Amino acid sequence: MSESGIDGERKRFIAFALTPSLIVLFAVAVLPAIYLVVTSLTPFQLTIPGSATDFSEPFRNYGLLPGDPRFVNSLAVQAKLSVWSVLFQVLLGMLLALLLNVPSRFVEFARTFFLIPMVLPPIVVAVIWKLIYAPDISPLYYAAQALHVTLPALTSNVDFALTSIIIADTWEWLPFTFLMVLAALQTIPDEYSEAALVDGASKLQIFWYVTLPFITPILVISGMFRLIDSVKAFPLIFLLTGGGPGTVTEVTNYYAYLLAFDTNEIGYSSAVTVVMLLLVCGISLGLVWMGRRREALA
Amino acid sequence: MKTAPRVSSITRRKLLKASAATAALAAFPAPLIAQTKPFAGVTLHGASFQHRFFTLLQKYIPEFEDKTGMKVDLQLSALPVYNQQANLELSSGGSAYDFVNVTFTLATRWIAAGLLANLDEFTGDANLTPADWNPNDFVDGAQMPYRDAKGATYGYSWEGGAMLMGLSRMDLMEKKGLKIPKTFAELQQVCAEINGTDGVSGIVSWFLHNWNLPPYIQGFGGNIFRNPPGDVMPALNTPEAIQGIEFYANLLKSAPKGVLTYTEDQARQAMLTGRANIFIHSSAWVTPILLSDESKVKDTSRVVRSPAGPVHDYPASNSQGLGIPKNAKNQKAAWEFIKWALSPEISMRLVKEHGHSSVCRRSIITSEAYRKLNTVNGQDLGALYLEVLELPGKGENYMAYRTSKEFPIVGDVLNKAFEQVATGQLPAKDAMNAAQDQAIAALRRAGTKL
Repeated sequence: MSESGIDGERKRFIAFALTPSLIVLFAVAVLPAIYLVVTSLTPFQLTIPGSATDFSEPFRNYGLLPGDPRFVNSLAVQAKLSVWSVLFQVLLGMLLALLLNVPSRFVEFARTFFLIPMVLPPIVVAVIWKLIYAPDISPLYYAAQALHVTLPALTSNVDFALTSIIIADTWEWLPFTFLMVLAALQTIPDEYSEAALVDGASKLQIFWYVTLPFITPILVISGMFRLIDSVKAFPLIFLLTGGGPGTVTEVTNYYAYLLAFDTNEIGYSSAVTVVMLLLVCGISLGLVWMGRRREALA
Repeated sequence: MKTAPRVSSITRRKLLKASAATAALAAFPAPLIAQTKPFAGVTLHGASFQHRFFTLLQKYIPEFEDKTGMKVDLQLSALPVYNQQANLELSSGGSAYDFVNVTFTLATRWIAAGLLANLDEFTGDANLTPADWNPNDFVDGAQMPYRDAKGATYGYSWEGGAMLMGLSRMDLMEKKGLKIPKTFAELQQVCAEINGTDGVSGIVSWFLHNWNLPPYIQGFGGNIFRNPPGDVMPALNTPEAIQGIEFYANLLKSAPKGVLTYTEDQARQAMLTGRANIFIHSSAWVTPILLSDESKVKDTSRVVRSPAGPVHDYPASNSQGLGIPKNAKNQKAAWEFIKWALSPEISMRLVKEHGHSSVCRRSIITSEAYRKLNTVNGQDLGALYLEVLELPGKGENYMAYRTSKEFPIVGDVLNKAFEQVATGQLPAKDAMNAAQDQAIAALRRAGTKL
């Protein structure tokens, strides 16, 4: 058999082997997404018969979005939540990893404790923080009282509600960035920092010129993962603030949830979700492009 | 003498027939027994949200299954999940359920969309419904959401909620010379004066503002819609509505920190432990201060009618019903179940054996047994419950706003507006003007012609 014949056979075999998984992937991932887009082109409401197949004004929902103050507000809230929580998670995760990157059995044992929040189901995390933020039963408030400090009701205060979500989200996902950065730190050969030390570099200089360049790709990747995930901070918002007070913590996916589940506007909710999906895809592609550009420059 | 041989011969024949029948019965007993159970072999599928009523009812369901021969498959989910499942199932014309909970807030739209079976066809047929089942025994106010414009019935209520006022620290009030408030102004005064005394908050509430707030708006003479159910133009920025929202926001200044996100359970707990003095909510949440074993304030508590506004006295009330989907496969069997579950017998057993008092049959609520169980410290809680539950059925149906299909959209907007006012983000007038615009825009987006 000629070489090209072998290649062809191999390609056919690979195609044959991949087909079932591609079909499953198409059925579970692509079809629902297509259905979401199709629904967003209708005025679908559960209690209006025929509304699911009414395509008379396909772009009506999208046309209404820019004039919907709650949708616009939800994008701004989402941006604040994402930026601050990702920033905290990446910086604190890095700091923690640098502190705990020492060869010690005790530290190795202690590291496992930092992973607990990440492995808890999100709703359990939300319940934990609900208790922490409940003024009448919370140990946080008892402690503050003992110190003669008056804390406001964090989740129902306009100035603190979003911050309280950011704190809880950071607590939950800090271990992820910590774990990623720690893994990266452990791949850095000791020779580089030893050489820098011999050359008289300070610890800060070693971090800046040796360690940071090594871990930057990991910081970008973990930041990107967390940015995508931050859009899904639903359980915390659902349980802690319900999007309030007012619309202070109403992020886009929570608004989409209210539209679909509270007011039955499935079509409009789908349009909100599609826009959110496009934004997340756009940000992800942008970050990937930035990463590649950086690699090319290096 | 002439008849004797004949009698003897008939007897012999009868004897032979009887022997054959006995033999057949011994050989094939099941089919004969099954014939006495008209629904043998039927599996009845029903769905509702999780509620104590169904948890208790499930204990009796084996009796119903024994009596009728059918099997009952009852699916219970959390309220929002159930509402979505039922909405989807009914609107898509599915036949997965034979009976469903007709959720109070969804009743009008399900009935208007023709998704439920007309139950008058069952109650009007003497073969299907005995006279003593008596559909007129259900409290009229509780039945209103389950009727269409022509008066046809699409559901029977299994649960009633009537807004009452609970006061947990009458001892503190007496010390300060305060009387039970009967008007909004007195309520404001009592809450403000008690707040902070002995670490007690003046009032407590919970996060569903579109349930707690409308009685204040209506008390000042306003409403959520201009004239529901016919005219559903939102009326959120009327002077009365603005007054109502300002009043309620001021009232909550005497509430515990974080009250805006309180759940019903948190509020009830604050009352049971005497950490809050007043709670105005459905009877099932308020009466535990007198009835529950957990209550630490049984001796100092009172339950009374909620205070009246300067214009009206409109305490909120609601009910939940059982109905049959239009496309249900086993409609007669479903009716048999509803008839049984809401029968006077089962209702009375729920009251006597489990103390479950929020039933909607007048004959039960006014019975001596019910009165005995629900009279505490000389307060007839049943009479109060019935009084409030009946109000929307007498004269103007002031609860019509809540069952109009536009309410979920406007109610959501109202919630947000109230939170903005209560947290000082916006003055009441600005918040309600913005809410009015948003409500109209959202209703138009959803296809409502205004």
